[in-house]
Amino acid sequence: MKQRLSSLRPGEAARVVGIRVAGPMRRRLMDMGVLVGEVLQIKKVAPLGDPIEVRLKNYSLSLRKKEAQAIEVEVLS
Amino acid sequence: MSVETLRKEGVKTLTIAVAGNPNSGKSTLINALAGTRLQVGNWPGVTVEKKEAWLSHEDWQLRLVDLPGTYSLSPYSQEELIARDFLIKERPDVVIDVVDATNLERNLYLTMQLLELGIPVVLALNIYDEAQAKGYQIDTKAMQEMLGAPVVPTVATKGQGLKELLEAALRAALKPQRPPSYGQDVEEALEGVLKKLSQERPELLAAYPSRWLALKLLEADGEVLRETGLTADFAHPAVEHLRQAHGEDIEAFMAELRYGLAAGLTREVLRKTRAAKTDLTERIDRIVLNRFLGIPIFLAAMWVVFKLTFDVSTPFVDWVDAATAGPLRRWTEAFLGLLGAPAWTVSLAVDGVIGGVGFVLVFVPVIFAMMFFITFLEGSGYMARAAFVMDRAMHSMGLHGKSFIPMLLGFGCNVPAIYATRTLESPRDKALTAVLVPLMSCGARLPVYVLFVGAFFPQSPGTVLWSLYVLGIAMAVLVGVVFKRTLFRGQAPLFIMELPPYRMPSMRSLLIHTWEKGKHFLLKAGTYILAVSVLVWFMLNMPWGVQSTKDSYLGKMGQALAPALKPLGFGTWEAASSLLTGIIAKEIVVGTMGEIYAAQAQESEEGPRPTFLEDLKELALGFAQAARDAGANVVSTVGIASLQAEEEGQEGLREAVRSTFSPLSAYAFMAFVLLYMPCVVVAIAMRHEFGTWKWFGLAFLYQTVLAWSVALIIYQGGRALGL
Repeated sequence: MKQRLSSLRPGEAARVVGIRVAGPMRRRLMDMGVLVGEVLQIKKVAPLGDPIEVRLKNYSLSLRKKEAQAIEVEVLS
Repeated sequence: MSVETLRKEGVKTLTIAVAGNPNSGKSTLINALAGTRLQVGNWPGVTVEKKEAWLSHEDWQLRLVDLPGTYSLSPYSQEELIARDFLIKERPDVVIDVVDATNLERNLYLTMQLLELGIPVVLALNIYDEAQAKGYQIDTKAMQEMLGAPVVPTVATKGQGLKELLEAALRAALKPQRPPSYGQDVEEALEGVLKKLSQERPELLAAYPSRWLALKLLEADGEVLRETGLTADFAHPAVEHLRQAHGEDIEAFMAELRYGLAAGLTREVLRKTRAAKTDLTERIDRIVLNRFLGIPIFLAAMWVVFKLTFDVSTPFVDWVDAATAGPLRRWTEAFLGLLGAPAWTVSLAVDGVIGGVGFVLVFVPVIFAMMFFITFLEGSGYMARAAFVMDRAMHSMGLHGKSFIPMLLGFGCNVPAIYATRTLESPRDKALTAVLVPLMSCGARLPVYVLFVGAFFPQSPGTVLWSLYVLGIAMAVLVGVVFKRTLFRGQAPLFIMELPPYRMPSMRSLLIHTWEKGKHFLLKAGTYILAVSVLVWFMLNMPWGVQSTKDSYLGKMGQALAPALKPLGFGTWEAASSLLTGIIAKEIVVGTMGEIYAAQAQESEEGPRPTFLEDLKELALGFAQAARDAGANVVSTVGIASLQAEEEGQEGLREAVRSTFSPLSAYAFMAFVLLYMPCVVVAIAMRHEFGTWKWFGLAFLYQTVLAWSVALIIYQGGRALGL
C-alpha cells in the first residue's frame, strides 16, 4: 500500500516508490540518497513532534514532516 | 602572490582543491596540513567561509584551497555552487576528495561527480581508524583500480597519512585520469551532445570541461543552461533514446546511476568483519533525542555553553578593561605630556583612541570563547541534534532549529551572537536570525535596568527585570512571524540534514579555528570600532572649547531629538543624549546620565601615580588572576547576576533620575533601551559577517519603530489607566 513517509511510525521500514515534488527539494533528497527503490527506516520523531530521523545508506537523515510528505513509500512488513 | 605570477617566475606551483562531504573530517585535515598558515576569509560576495594556505613541499609551492563541505555539486545551494564554480572556472591542478571511510557509499556519490570534471582526483580515505575499529576492511587497491584515482588512508585527527596524501596529489596532478564509464546508453548520448557542441558552439568546449558540460546539458542543469545561453532542447536528440529506455526524468536517472556506481563499488571493496552492533552514536541519541529527556538535556547543554562562554571570558574582559583604562592610559598621558602635546590631543588619544582600542579588545575574549564552544558543538555532532530538537519551535517563527544558539548567546552579548549565525547554512535563515538577535536583552542593558529598577521598583526588582526579558522575547516572536510572512516570504529553506555520528573534535583544529576567528574580528571589525570611537569623541568634544555636554554636537542632537520622545514620557535632552551615546554600547546610557546629572558631584580622586614597573606588575598579576578566575568560574556553581554588585554607589544618580522620571516613564524608558537600535559593535559585526549594511539597516529601522511604538503604548496606555 502506497503512503507518504510522513505517516510512518518509528521503527517502520519502507521502500521509496516516488518523490512527489520538483525543484531544489527533489534534487536535495536525491543527493542525500533518497531514490526510488531505496529502503528507509524511521528511527525517531523529535520531542516536539517534528522533524523526524530516518536511517538510510548507513547514515541518519533528519527532515521535516512537510518534506517527508513529498516522499511516497511502500511499507515493508 | 598568485599562482600565475609564481609560474611566470619559474616557480613550480600547484593548486590543490580540497572537497568532501560535511562531517568527513575535511576541516581537521586542512588544519592538520596547513596549521597556522591557514588564512580564513569569505568567498567573494557571500558569507561562506573560505580557507586557503600556501605550503611548500620539496621544490613545489602548493596552494591549498578548501571548498565548502557539500554532498553533491548540484546547482541549488550556495555552498555547492561555490565549490563547483571554483572547480570549473579556476581549474585546480588536482582535487583532494576527503571521504569518510565509515560511510563510503554516500561519500562516493560526490566522488563520482568530482571525477566527471576531468581534474585528477585523489581520495583521502579519512577517519580510517574508526572504520578499522568498526571491523571494516577496505580494499584500497581494488578501489583505486575501479575509480582510476589514487586512494590514501588518512587519520586527520592524528596527522596520519597526510604526507602520503600530498605526495599522491603531486603525482596525480601530472597525469590525466579516465572518468568512470556511465554505461553505453549514457556514453552514446554524451558523444551525441559533444558532437553537436563541436559543430555549433565550439567555444564552449574550450571554456568548460567537455564531458562535464555534456553531462550537465543531458541533465538540463539550470545554471549551466543560463550561463551558456543554451536551452534544454539542445541535448534533445541525444536524450531521446535515454528517455525511451529509462523514463522521462534524466536528472533522477543520473542520480540513480551515480549512487548505483557508488553502491556497487562499496560492495566490492568493503568487507565488514563483524556484525554491526549498536554503536555509540545510537546509544547517545537514545538519551539525547529522547521524547522526554531531549529538551531538558538540550536546555542543560545550552546553559552550560552560555555560562562557559561568558564566565570564561569575563575575567579576561575585566583584565583588558582594567589594563586599557589603567596602565595604558597613564603611559600614553605621560608620553604625550613629555612631548608637550596640547591637552585636547591627550584627550583624543586617551579617550578616543585608547578608549576605542580597549573597547575593541574587551570583545575579543568573548568572541574567542564563543567560537571555541560553537566549533566544539559543530565538530562533536551535537549541533545537528540541537537543531533537530528545537526546529519545531523555531520554525514557527520562521527560523531554523540552529537559530536557537545565536539567540541564546544574545542574552550575554549580541556581538558574538551575530557571529554565531554562521552555523546556519541558508542565507535567509542567517539574515533573519541576525536581525532578531538584538531583541535579546544583552548584558550591557542590565546596568540601565539596575539603575531604574533600583530607583523606582525596589519592592519587586525581580519581576520588573524578568518582564523586560520576556518583552524582548515576545517581540522577537512577533517580529519573526511578521517578517516570515513579509520580507522573508517565499519557501522556507529545507531541513534535509544529516545527523552525523558523534566524534571528539581535535583540540588542534578547535584552537586553530578559534584563533582565526578571533584574529579576523580584531583586524576587520576592530578597525571600524576604533574609527567610530574616535568619531564619538569628536561628537562629544566639538565644537572647539565646549564646556558642558549640552553644548557639544551630541548634546545638540539630544536637544533636537527630545521632542520626539515627549509622547513616551522622557522628552528631555538628558535622556535623549544618553540614548544617543547608548548607541555605542547600551551600558553607556548610565555613564552618560551619571556625567550629565551628577557632573558637579564628580570629584577626581587621584592617588599617587604608580610607577612603570608597578604597572607592569599589575598587568601580569591581573592576567594571572583572570586566568585563575576563568578556571574557577568553570567549576563553580554560578548564580544569576546579582543586582547588589551593580548597584554600589548609585544613590546620587538614583536621586537624580527620580526627579525627572516617573515609575511609568522609567518603565517606558527601559523598554525603549531594550528595543531601540542595535549598538555600533553589533552593526559592525553584522556588516562584517554579511558583507553588507543591508541587515543592519533593516534592524535599525524596525527596532526604532518598534521601540518608539512600544514605549508609547506603555506610557500612554499606563496614563490612560491612571498609573
